[in-house]
Amino acid sequence: MDSKSLVLVALFTAIIVVLGLIPPIMVAVIPVPIHAQSLGVLLAGIVLGARHGALSVLLLIALVAIGLPVLSGGRGGLSVFLSPTAGYLLGYLPAAWMTGWAADRVHDLPIRGWKVLAGLLAAAILGVLITHVVGIAWLIAYVGLSPLEAIVGDLIFVPGDLVKAALAAYVGRIIHENFGRRLIAS
Amino acid sequence: MDIVFANASAKFANRNVLEPLSIRLTEHRIGIIGLNGSGKSTFARMINGLVFPHAGSVVTNGFETRQDAERVRSIVGYIFQNPANQIVLPVVRDDIALGMKRLRLGTREVEQRVSDVLARLGIGHLAERRAHELSGGEVQLVALAAVLATSPDIVIMDEPTNQLDLRNRNMVTRTIRDLVEDVIVVTHDLALLANFDRVLLFHEGRILADGAAENVIARYEELVQ
Amino acid sequence: MTAAPGTVLERLPATTKLAALFCISVLLFLTTSPSLLGAAAGAILVACLLLCREALVQWLKAWPLLLTIGIFALWKAFADGYHEALVLLLRLGTLSLVATVVTVTTSIRQFIDTITRLARPLEKLGIGNAHDIGLAIGLVMRLIPDVRQRYLAVVDAHRARGLPLRPSTLFVPMIIGMLKGADDMANAIDARGIRADTRTEKKVGHG
Repeated sequence: MDSKSLVLVALFTAIIVVLGLIPPIMVAVIPVPIHAQSLGVLLAGIVLGARHGALSVLLLIALVAIGLPVLSGGRGGLSVFLSPTAGYLLGYLPAAWMTGWAADRVHDLPIRGWKVLAGLLAAAILGVLITHVVGIAWLIAYVGLSPLEAIVGDLIFVPGDLVKAALAAYVGRIIHENFGRRLIAS
Repeated sequence: MDIVFANASAKFANRNVLEPLSIRLTEHRIGIIGLNGSGKSTFARMINGLVFPHAGSVVTNGFETRQDAERVRSIVGYIFQNPANQIVLPVVRDDIALGMKRLRLGTREVEQRVSDVLARLGIGHLAERRAHELSGGEVQLVALAAVLATSPDIVIMDEPTNQLDLRNRNMVTRTIRDLVEDVIVVTHDLALLANFDRVLLFHEGRILADGAAENVIARYEELVQ
Repeated sequence: MTAAPGTVLERLPATTKLAALFCISVLLFLTTSPSLLGAAAGAILVACLLLCREALVQWLKAWPLLLTIGIFALWKAFADGYHEALVLLLRLGTLSLVATVVTVTTSIRQFIDTITRLARPLEKLGIGNAHDIGLAIGLVMRLIPDVRQRYLAVVDAHRARGLPLRPSTLFVPMIIGMLKGADDMANAIDARGIRADTRTEKKVGHG
């Protein structure tokens, strides 16, 4: 891995952490405050691609494991992996990978303008989907909720995450327009 | 120092940034001046192999920059324009120690060298400071300390006083003046070059003037009229 | 967040502690009896009081996590009855405490060394270099305050001009600015020879 990729991976991990430090905001009808942290995860996938986006998340997970308070709310340490919502953190990893993979496919296609935006949105929504699937699976397996209970509980967070997906696609497209594929030498 | 450019040129995106150049640098302190885009930074970067010549060769203290890239980098210390970006670890002391990792020294010696180099530049009190807490001048000196800790033969500084206030600028100027290592400074700050042995003036990818500081600076001021 | 150096738990290798955490997790999931789980919880609580009081403090300090567990237990109580709720409470509560013990009695250096060792097999898969892990972690810690400062600066600039905070005007300048700095940092890492022994040189020369 060349040094530029290494620094970019670390940079996006830092971005994910800082987005978790931003105070959560209340949006319209959604009854829970939205943390910007998962936005960082989607951005990592879209901007860096599958491999390096996933490495950014892996680095984040390593920081949490080490005990540093890098998750939204200042959470950190191994106890995070044993909490009811650990699935969402672990789900970030395949989510970043898949979003990155899908974004790479979008960028390979000979399309421009709103089509790229739509493609990136699809990539981001894919990431959100994966995160929630893993989160729900964890709720069922580890916490012992029934599938129905888990899905219902999870649903509250979906609208907020869809907003973040749109944001990630939007920002990702602008960055791609400015930097193109020159960002990463995979 | 003994730096030889043999018909070396540099291109960027099919544009000639530096025209083919043959020159030999042997002085102790060399200044490099010129307008933005004149090729002066590229010239400096070719000395330690950050940029390879498109044609021709650059040999620094006996090592060719492309073939012996690692050797060249180990004998030349480079301070970038934004030195904050070359401090790689959060705590000053750790960053300086990291730069010495390739020297494979024992822990105790590393610690000693860190203390020594910080004391030498008068910034011992910054050892435990975090990089983002440092002032512009302090960042410059910490970056310099990290470079000096690896005992380079030549130190290249790219616009060291660029964004500093007067006090920090004086601090850095004094420090550069007191360096025993060979020094190459790219700068807009003409006062910095007061006691330099040789100054090169770059313009549009070529050397327009080369010689004693006062003469070359006068030529530069003519150019800027 | 580490306890005083030299205690019994701290001298244990990190991998041992992680393996113990894993085994305890498995054991606690093998039983659904509240009394057994309660006994285990009690035993671990006592062990903490004796061997690692700091872990108890940190565990309590992370009250959002405990609150989350409590909320899920409450849900369980309404949905499936008190028995299930108690099992949940005891299991997750105990496991989070044990995990906290491991975190508190292991230094950052030990964690990094352990992760580096565990990552060696990944090297064979060509994912990266194990030595880079320590550097990557250091880089993140170095960059977090910079990213945060840049975020605050962009927000301030918006406020000063009375502009509404929109994602395009916030995130885009933030990220683009940082990408330039990343370039410099990568060059500096190479120029300072920080990764000199971890990979072969591969460089294309152009301005």
